[in-house]
Amino acid sequence: MSVLALHDIHRSFEPGIPVLDGVDLSVNAGEVVGLLGRNGAGKTTLIQIAMGMLHQQQGTVEVFGLDPHQQPVEVKRQIGFVSENQVLPAFLKVREVVELHRSLFPSWDDDMATRLVNRFGLRPGVRIKTLSKGQARQVALLCALCHRPDLLLLDEPAGGLDALARREFLETSIQALSDTGTTIVFSSHYLSDVERLADRAVMLHDAKVLIDNTIDELHESFSIALVPHRPQGTSEALLALPECLGVRVRTDAVHAVFRLDPDDACALITEKLGVTDSRCRTAGLEEMFIEIAGGER
Amino acid sequence: MLIVVDPSSGVPVFRQVMDQVRFHIAGGLLKAGDELPPTRTLSAELGVNPMTISKAYNLLERDGALERRPGKPLVVAALAPEEIELEKLDQLRSHLSGAVRAAQQLSLKPGEAIKVFRQMLETDKED
Repeated sequence: MSVLALHDIHRSFEPGIPVLDGVDLSVNAGEVVGLLGRNGAGKTTLIQIAMGMLHQQQGTVEVFGLDPHQQPVEVKRQIGFVSENQVLPAFLKVREVVELHRSLFPSWDDDMATRLVNRFGLRPGVRIKTLSKGQARQVALLCALCHRPDLLLLDEPAGGLDALARREFLETSIQALSDTGTTIVFSSHYLSDVERLADRAVMLHDAKVLIDNTIDELHESFSIALVPHRPQGTSEALLALPECLGVRVRTDAVHAVFRLDPDDACALITEKLGVTDSRCRTAGLEEMFIEIAGGER
Repeated sequence: MLIVVDPSSGVPVFRQVMDQVRFHIAGGLLKAGDELPPTRTLSAELGVNPMTISKAYNLLERDGALERRPGKPLVVAALAPEEIELEKLDQLRSHLSGAVRAAQQLSLKPGEAIKVFRQMLETDKED
């Protein structure tokens, strides 16, 4: 069943400069999707459109089959949301913020809230403005999880957190996942977090979806080829191949990302370019991201 | 359990888990009847998606390395001694594949490569 369905979404903030230019994204129940892309690639815009916080200029959004603009309360009741730029009321105490959320959500789970307060070591009497960034994010996560949402939308949830706080955030989300099978869509610049948590990665690039594959596919059926610099026109020839996602010219070689496993990528380069000494290998997401985001297409 | 994963290595996490379980079975660290940690325990400890662990467990079960009995923890299946010997060689093969590729790229003759392998094995024994 489709929990989130975005179809042909267009959005720009300045005429002629699209942030999202015909984006399709469909997420099924229980899936964990990592949203990747450079700063300004449109990840936040996409999440805000899904939340109903922002209007698309063209296209349709359905969350649990509902339009988030037509039925905002029904949709938001089923969503947990945490963002890097979330502002919690600074002068309220932790206890009061939790109470506020409890009163808004009929499905609030008191036991879970108590468990998370203890786990995070949060002191209920402390005012939000005195919390560290990591603690404030933990309060936000608690508020997002304890009404047991069917969909978690996390916009760069680990941004600015130290490594241990990030891991705890991840583990708490993972637990919610095993307990209730929550669907998660999260954007992150920490690509190893995406590799840990996500089933699937969606990369936004040039206002469009460039990659939408499972993490296992990205690890096994994509590769980076290192092609020595001769003859002239190597990078153009590589770019002309439909399986090539992008090339990046370095001093002594051209790096190319292929939608093929290493053996097939090397065979294709030999066949089409006549180059026999290219080297192809699988790579982690971070390396692939840098090759694509930093290269040409 | 002695499993570590490196999510950024370019090898799918489910495969890393499978490889290490098989390695421990071949190496005798995991014996027939030993229980494996439940999916959610292992996924929480490794900080990875629980579906990844259940995928690894399911594939190991399909391959006959693990056994699932209703309502009980997953255990290591009983293997005949000769099967374990085969598994050991299989494990070594997969660890050597990178070295074989390097030897080919360096245009080393098989005899030269084998000499290095033998020397390293014997030096290691003396240490």
